[in-house]
Amino acid sequence: MPVDRPSRARRAALLATLVLAALALAAPLPVRGDRSISFMAWGDPAELTAWSSLVESFRTAQPGIDVELIQVADQSDYRQRLGADLAAGTPADVVLVNYRRMAGFAWRGLLLPLADRLRASEMMDEGAFWPGLLDAYRWRGTLQCIPQNIASLVVYYNRDLLRAAGIADPADDWTWDDLLAMAKALTADTDGDGRTDHFGLGVEPSLMRVAPFVWQHGGEVVNDPLRPNRLGLEGSLAREAVEWFVALQTVHHVVPDAVEEAAEPSEDRFLRGTTALFLNSRRGVPTYRAAAGFDWDVAPLPRDATAANVLHSDGFCIPAATRDADAAWAFVEHATTPEAQAVVAGTGRTVPSLRAVAESDAFLDPSLAPARSRVWLDAIPTIRTFPILPGWVDIEELADEEIERAFYGQVSVEEAIRQAAERTAPFFLAGGDA
Amino acid sequence: MRTSPGGRVAAAGGVALRLLVAGLFLLPLLWVASASLRAPGLPPPRGVEWIPDPVSLDAWSRLLTLAPVGRALVLSVVVAAIVVPVTILVSSLAGFAIGRMGAPARRTLLGLAVVLLLVPAPALWLTRFLLYRTAGIIDTPLVLLLPAAFGLSPVFVLLYAWGFRRVPTELIEQARMDGAGPFRAWWSVAFPLVLPTTVAVGVLAFVATWGDAVTPLLYLRSDELTTLPLAIRTLQTLDRSDWPILMAGALLLALPAIALFGIAQRRFLADDRIAETFGRRG
Amino acid sequence: MPDPGRVAALRDPWRRGPWLMLAPWLVGSLLLVGLPALLTLLLSLTAYDGISAPVFTGFDAYRIVARDPLAGRALENTLLFLVAAVPLRIIGALGLALLLERPRRGTGTARVAAWIPAVIPDVAAALVWLWIFNPLLGPVNLLLGALGLPTPGWLADPETARIPFVVMAAAGLGEGFVVLLAALKGIPPEIRSAAALDGAGRVATFRAITLPFLVPWLVVLSIRDTVVALQWTLIPALVMTGGDPYYSTLFLPQAIREEAFDRFRYGPGSALIVLLALVAAAVSVGILLLARGRGVTDAD
Repeated sequence: MPVDRPSRARRAALLATLVLAALALAAPLPVRGDRSISFMAWGDPAELTAWSSLVESFRTAQPGIDVELIQVADQSDYRQRLGADLAAGTPADVVLVNYRRMAGFAWRGLLLPLADRLRASEMMDEGAFWPGLLDAYRWRGTLQCIPQNIASLVVYYNRDLLRAAGIADPADDWTWDDLLAMAKALTADTDGDGRTDHFGLGVEPSLMRVAPFVWQHGGEVVNDPLRPNRLGLEGSLAREAVEWFVALQTVHHVVPDAVEEAAEPSEDRFLRGTTALFLNSRRGVPTYRAAAGFDWDVAPLPRDATAANVLHSDGFCIPAATRDADAAWAFVEHATTPEAQAVVAGTGRTVPSLRAVAESDAFLDPSLAPARSRVWLDAIPTIRTFPILPGWVDIEELADEEIERAFYGQVSVEEAIRQAAERTAPFFLAGGDA
Repeated sequence: MRTSPGGRVAAAGGVALRLLVAGLFLLPLLWVASASLRAPGLPPPRGVEWIPDPVSLDAWSRLLTLAPVGRALVLSVVVAAIVVPVTILVSSLAGFAIGRMGAPARRTLLGLAVVLLLVPAPALWLTRFLLYRTAGIIDTPLVLLLPAAFGLSPVFVLLYAWGFRRVPTELIEQARMDGAGPFRAWWSVAFPLVLPTTVAVGVLAFVATWGDAVTPLLYLRSDELTTLPLAIRTLQTLDRSDWPILMAGALLLALPAIALFGIAQRRFLADDRIAETFGRRG
Repeated sequence: MPDPGRVAALRDPWRRGPWLMLAPWLVGSLLLVGLPALLTLLLSLTAYDGISAPVFTGFDAYRIVARDPLAGRALENTLLFLVAAVPLRIIGALGLALLLERPRRGTGTARVAAWIPAVIPDVAAALVWLWIFNPLLGPVNLLLGALGLPTPGWLADPETARIPFVVMAAAGLGEGFVVLLAALKGIPPEIRSAAALDGAGRVATFRAITLPFLVPWLVVLSIRDTVVALQWTLIPALVMTGGDPYYSTLFLPQAIREEAFDRFRYGPGSALIVLLALVAAAVSVGILLLARGRGVTDAD
């Protein structure tokens, strides 16, 4: 049969590729050292850089243990990966877990209790942590993870905009009324087209954001903080607080509505200098340092009947299925030394869980914005935690949807609260005393 | 007819239509490209900014420092260079074989391919993990290469099955009379005649492997085994002011697939080429 | 090369050969797809948290799913999306393949352009569409506004939030386009030119010759697109809406991911996966019935 030469050569080349490919399929597999652990963490590139330097410093300090860093950028990818790993019984030896998710792992016995190890540790001292912080990581009285940070909500503000409007910086003891008055004064339709161009305030409608206001007003997020079995937002004080929060958008219009928020998120508006006040945890700092072209700082949350704030914290946990618990613990100990915490605090992203580090220049560096970083430390005595429940993340997700609907005026606050309470009720039972 | 005014208007209309299609579909790419030229660390633009001010390559240089792009690129290229030919080999052999089977077997196999096609990806996430773990191949390059063994997707087998059915049976029978075995008949007679199918399968297999972020996420853990899509995925958590870097990464990931198809369609899907292929069998 | 004396001896390879050729794909598929899929099917009959051994619970997981209003919402959203997206993708891909089949001026560029949205990584593509459908600043609403038409809130409005997903899925028709382009190229040219010489018009040639030839390809593509579309929403939804506003863009893949991996409820999670497969199967049977007897199929 007629086959021309070049085409035969081409086919020979293709065949050679195929054979090579088949050989590569049978290539030998990489081999691992004996004493090796892995540390899985999520984070943006700045945080991942900090984790890398942490791992490097551990390798220097403990040359006998090989530690491998598994970086999963996205939190939702992280959970999918962690879920598959745990199910397969091959999780990383040290994992980063938020305290609100910790109980979901702990009640299934997935985490190695760390209380005894902390007590016996020569490098770590329970008293070096901020008082009460370890409680957020206790499941049925037993410590499960070692906290890495202790952040809370603050109000970021654009000082240039305040100056231009002749407004003084928020005081340390400012109130809800002060916040509303300031937000109103800074909301404006600058080009007269009937659409607001400058918003006074940006805030995400979620339980995490509403909770401190509920507590400040004397309400409760759950019906009984010690033995919760239902959301507590139906209480009259709590409902008033939620109503005040929702009115920021629905009545006072100092916050963008749903369409305006979709068109340009409040955080972008804050960065571009068209939103004056923005509620966030410590996580905004690295971005604002890099991207904000104006003078900015942070103020504490305004207070009402009392001051209150909500804990934002992640901890190092050791899965029960670890291959080498001692080596994993050595890594956690190392990661919680003042030196290591200072490295991570250098990203600007964390409020260190060790009191000494948080009160040092590693965190309070006066040459770096925000100048009032101390507000995070001042808030610590007023910080409250959400209940440690296995189903808490589900409760939050459902409540967030209802709060968002009320915030954008799609249902009444009363209806949203009722729906939230009813829909979340089953999740208070999951992993209870069954 | 070529000079008739109506024909000319129709031809001009055709060109305009093609350019309109090109423009519409190019829009996203242009947006990604221009967004990648914005300096990272600036407040996000309000709306779109076609020509960033200032035009900056910072996003590209930061991309190279932030993500293990170099190493990931090498691994991705090696994986694609292995998976695509193996996929073509496996699925074209299977497709050819199905065409040679008697009607009952053929129907059963086509039915099987359709059933396999219906298996949703989430059905495999966890259970395939358990199988890989049992086989002890978690965190080895094998998990990136194994999917090639079943031709990446039953679609490719089905495409080849249809493609080979268009090859006149007499040609195969003649090769058989000439003493060729089935492998030789497949390789020398049938395979060259389904070139367009091979191009389509090759391009699709490349895209499927090249862009797959789930396989490395679930079945690999070592840093050394990061593939490009996973490296780009880490950029997803960048703050909005750093999205130019994400855009640069996305463009870097998309360009090889775009270039590959550009070359493939020019070389293999031009009319003269097809005519030549079909002419050859005479 | 061929030795007539050995032809008889070679008869055996022709009987064995096809099975040998089939073996890698068959074994690979059954091991890497069939077996894990079967395991998932079994898991859907259990209560399994990923840690303790699975406990057989019969159809409990399906009952849990049936009672879960969010699962129902996700199923409804997914079906609505599917019904709109798949036909758009197939018809669009076919139209483009016919338009760009012959090399003329601008064809090469247009072909590559049509391919591009399919290969831009999901995350970046989602960001692009987020801008295109931006309710105040995006080109769609600016155009609608300029024409004096109402400007919907798109992703911010529960009524319209799914539309950008459909449009985004439709724009990613590049793979179907490539397959149909290859299919058109594979039609022996003399058949179509013969029809043209017989005086058949373009439309008549298309209906009598081209379309019947394409039917098998269209069937495979429609089934594939159905399966792909069922899973495709995961990343775009994460980037664009996260299921908001109020579950109007909660699709099955996100529900599965949350159920199985966030809540460690692999039983109901697997039941949702089986539900997904059943939807795909039902749609595919519909497609096969629709295509039956039309065009050059395996029946000839």
